[in-house]
Amino acid sequence: MEDEIRFSHISMEFPGVLANDDISLSIRRGEVFALVGENGAGKSTLMNILYGINEPTAGELFVRGQKVTAFNPRAAIDRGIGMVHQHFMLVPSFTVAQNIVLGQEPRKAGALFDNRKAEQLTRQLVAEYGLEVDPTAEVRDISVGLQQRVEILKTLYRGAEILILDEPTAVLTPQETDELFEVIRSIVREKNMTVIIITHKLYEVMAISDRVGVMRAGKLIGVKNTAEVDEHILASMMVGRPVLFDHLDKIGEPGAVAIEVKDLFVADNRGLPAVRGASFAVRKGEVLGIAAIEGNGQSELLEAITGLRKIERGTVTVCGQNAVGKTPGEIRAMGVSHVPEDRLSTGVDKVASVADNLLTGRQREKRFNRFGFHQRRSTIDRYAQELYEKFDIRGAGIHIPVGSMSGGNMQKVVVAREFTFDSPALVISQPTRGVDIGAMEFFHTRIIERRNAGAAILLSSADLDEVFRLSDRIITLYEGRVTGEFRADAITKEEIGFYMTGARKEAEQ
Amino acid sequence: MHNNIWSTIFDPGTFSQMLRSATPVALAALGGLMTEHAGIMNIGMDGMILMGAFVAAVGSYFCASAAMGILAAMLFGILIGLFFALFTVKLKSDEFIIGCALNTFALGVTAFLSREIFGLSGTSGYAVPSLPNVTIPLIDRIPFVGKVLSGHSIFVYVTWLLVFLMWLFVYRTPMGLWIRASGESPETLRTVGKNPERMKWIASILCGVFCGLAGAHLSLGYLNGSFVEGMSASRGYIAFACVIFAAANPPRAYIAALMFGFFDALGLRLQSYVSSDLTGTIPYLITIIMMVYVVVSRQKRRERLAKQQLQRLEP
Amino acid sequence: MKKQRFDYGYILTLLISLVVALLIGAGILALTGHNPLVAYRALLGGAFSNARHIGDMLEYAMVLCLCGLACDIGSRVGIFNVGGEGQLLLGAIFAAQIGVWLKALSPWLAIPAAALGAMIVGGFYAWIPGVLKVKLKVNEVITTIMLNTVAVFLCQFLAKGPWKNTNKNIVAGTGNLPGSFWLKKLVPGSNLSTAIIAAAVITFLVWYILQKTSKGYEMRLTGDNPRFAKYAGMKTERIVLITMVISGMMCGLVGMFRVYGAEHIYKSTVSNEYYFEGLMVAMIAQYAPLPTIVISLIFAILKIGAMGMETAAGVPKQLYLIIQTIVIFCMAAETGIRAAIARNRERRAAKQDVKARKEGGNEHA
Repeated sequence: MEDEIRFSHISMEFPGVLANDDISLSIRRGEVFALVGENGAGKSTLMNILYGINEPTAGELFVRGQKVTAFNPRAAIDRGIGMVHQHFMLVPSFTVAQNIVLGQEPRKAGALFDNRKAEQLTRQLVAEYGLEVDPTAEVRDISVGLQQRVEILKTLYRGAEILILDEPTAVLTPQETDELFEVIRSIVREKNMTVIIITHKLYEVMAISDRVGVMRAGKLIGVKNTAEVDEHILASMMVGRPVLFDHLDKIGEPGAVAIEVKDLFVADNRGLPAVRGASFAVRKGEVLGIAAIEGNGQSELLEAITGLRKIERGTVTVCGQNAVGKTPGEIRAMGVSHVPEDRLSTGVDKVASVADNLLTGRQREKRFNRFGFHQRRSTIDRYAQELYEKFDIRGAGIHIPVGSMSGGNMQKVVVAREFTFDSPALVISQPTRGVDIGAMEFFHTRIIERRNAGAAILLSSADLDEVFRLSDRIITLYEGRVTGEFRADAITKEEIGFYMTGARKEAEQ
Repeated sequence: MHNNIWSTIFDPGTFSQMLRSATPVALAALGGLMTEHAGIMNIGMDGMILMGAFVAAVGSYFCASAAMGILAAMLFGILIGLFFALFTVKLKSDEFIIGCALNTFALGVTAFLSREIFGLSGTSGYAVPSLPNVTIPLIDRIPFVGKVLSGHSIFVYVTWLLVFLMWLFVYRTPMGLWIRASGESPETLRTVGKNPERMKWIASILCGVFCGLAGAHLSLGYLNGSFVEGMSASRGYIAFACVIFAAANPPRAYIAALMFGFFDALGLRLQSYVSSDLTGTIPYLITIIMMVYVVVSRQKRRERLAKQQLQRLEP
Repeated sequence: MKKQRFDYGYILTLLISLVVALLIGAGILALTGHNPLVAYRALLGGAFSNARHIGDMLEYAMVLCLCGLACDIGSRVGIFNVGGEGQLLLGAIFAAQIGVWLKALSPWLAIPAAALGAMIVGGFYAWIPGVLKVKLKVNEVITTIMLNTVAVFLCQFLAKGPWKNTNKNIVAGTGNLPGSFWLKKLVPGSNLSTAIIAAAVITFLVWYILQKTSKGYEMRLTGDNPRFAKYAGMKTERIVLITMVISGMMCGLVGMFRVYGAEHIYKSTVSNEYYFEGLMVAMIAQYAPLPTIVISLIFAILKIGAMGMETAAGVPKQLYLIIQTIVIFCMAAETGIRAAIARNRERRAAKQDVKARKEGGNEHA
């Protein structure tokens, strides 16, 4: 078979991030190729290069043997490439037909936009591909499933032969997913199109793709024929870093329950249920790890527990106190510290200094204020300097803005601040995302230190190795539900992959 | 007494004055809705109008032709639009700061130059050619309607045409679509191969031209050939309110301008009953209420959509 | 933030912008047939030649500085108070009318009552857009602009109607304040009164709270990253709303100062869009208190000096508006160009980085 697309040693660097690292990959005409990997693995970046949104910082791209020199969407469209983005590229107030023809509008009387023709063309496409949608409806009034159809129709209108779908099922119901897959199969079969699908849902890879490429941390880990692999093999390729760590000493027995969650329901940003009836408890002196593939409700769950997200239904109890309907400040006062998933948007004030970021949460404490309001800068600086050294933060001192530091050091600032509250409960999300191996070891040691000191720790990480290494118990989360609960030393990674992808298990006693 | 109020309100003079007052505001609003569609918050329209008025008066005076004055104001409008876009689009400056500064700059530069050219008392005593008023044959014979519609500055009628043309441009031409998309969802426009920045430049230039026209109308039509310092008299802000009120739809913006014109006329005519200052506040208060309504209804819409999704997910 | 570190880049930009603006001003002067040197000398003379001018200049600097600071504190927590003009006018007219009502009382009761009334009215008028912003996310810039015009109309209505001066020659103005209520002039014949002492105290307090207290620290974090502030346990919505109300209270108080210190009745000269000039000061100062004070002084010198320039050299005083705004345009242009250069440099650096890495890799292989 001929190569439809060939990436040759492609690298893409954004300020401070190497998003794609020397990637070489060929995709054939008429196949469904799945690209899998955790968030931030570089899948979208690679596809944005193919679609001309990013120009690679190094390497070459060939489409049907032709070397690509002009990197812009216009040229990509002319090469017959269409992309359906994860965040839909639609104008909400326009009608379906207007969105489909945008940029290549049918005209009448020379200069006028021919709306009727646009609707007629849309109807033709709808009939040809069986993607039912009302051309006259405004996009903001239709469901996300239909919006996605509009996106696909948009690429077909532009004569796409290669269709890139970025996380297409993230917003779909199971029925809508089935319908989408039916459409993909039919356009590949009947129009001999090439489809690239970016996803991290492995059963979908199995259901729809011919071949699959796995990415991790900007690198292409491997390419397989889908028929020759299963979900567990893919899962182990996706997660985990190939490093061997020293053993961590976990001492002490778990004590009283510190965080208890019962039948919890939480909605995501679109108002859809992300957590659906989760129940579990975290005891003092243990680490409870959450193993789940990105987007199965773990982010919303942790935000709900720490008061950053509204709880729709169910109860959360922290150290015996009700935490439902409380502000983050009140929940902190109950004894919860939080290392948030996205440190840049939630965990730090980028423009404030390191010292100010280390102080946050303690700014009202007596020792930092004279007369209760006048900040004692020298005491604050001394305190900050102490933490700076204790947590081995490396940078140009405590007076520079946190935003100018590397990801790992920024995370140390967050951890230094949150861990020194000595709270009975800690909620930790993605503690080592974007952090190098050396610093990773440091964070792990710190987390176990807190555990051994008797803190209850709820940990969520995309890195399965990390979850296994730190946790005493592990729960798996799938589509917002707890699908299993295990002792970390009584289960293997392969087995747990099973529950992360939908199998159910009654809680072990 | 009551009879009296109603006959004063429904006098043709009220509606004639409404049209007169609405026209400069409507012209500026037509420009403002372009930048609004392109996603630029343009509060600098007042300055654009003021400079347009001045340039029109100067052009008309020196060329001894009102038409040349209008042309000069429009050309100058292009320059102002370019200047505005240079900062807000190219240099990504804060739109608000630039708009504010533009208003103050206009106030200063027109007053300064007016005093330099015409002296302290402005253009009074200078022959600035103005635009004639137009009597529409036949219609002017119809009782009431004739008095309302006929006998205005030509700009009043040109504005009607422009409202229609702008509606056509915004909703019925490809470029209109692109400009709207550039404000609402610039990345979408970029992915279909059009440059949203270029659309913002175009919108900004159009805004300058319309504000120039509004200014030309003020000095050459509304005030029959004279420039007065600060003569835009916050009309730019009123036009901005119209744009917000009308969600940047041209006919609706014209109706909003008529509303302002109506309350303006009403205030003048009802002076013996109610203070015109009190009636003057009404359009602004309505605009605020409209904004709250828009926000609340948008939230409602989102909630409704989420609920629908939910039902489909878990039947 | 131990030491307020001097941002030399900012000072340089400000100086260059000022020089460029003055040069352009000189160009305009030359083109319109004036001698720039004569005009600028007249300008300086206008501001400093006698005590009365210096007094007027300081009074105007006070107004600009307080308005600028009112804008500063709002922007510190992420809300933009454009409605200061309306808050100022309403504060002024209520203060004036309270004085008329309390005519019979001792000034020691009446003046604080007027100040309090002005602050309550100004604060309330800021609370409206504040609450709409915090609870409903309605754009506060647009609502405050609308409310400004509403306030202008309302004040006109009150000054021409129910609260009108009994003197028929005053078309729009409130009743006369008893002489005992007038704040003592520091320079006879000028506008400068003891109000400037109160203003200095307020200015110090604002600077102190923003820079030195834990409250100011919380305000800063709220403005920088509201999500982080909320995560860290701060009541961000309350902080924003209270700050907005305080900003409005400051503007109301400026109105009271104008009436009791300078005009002695409410009339339209109480403020001629002074808040907007204060707003521009705050913008140029990039919403920091210390530069706000300095730039207020510069702008006040320009404005009062321009009046002197008009009489002495026959140059229309509006030149100062031109110079002021050119300073803003220059600073905006400089910041914009610098940002564009930085973006370009980053992109190029990233490219070279990958290239270097690749070549390095090849050597290994």
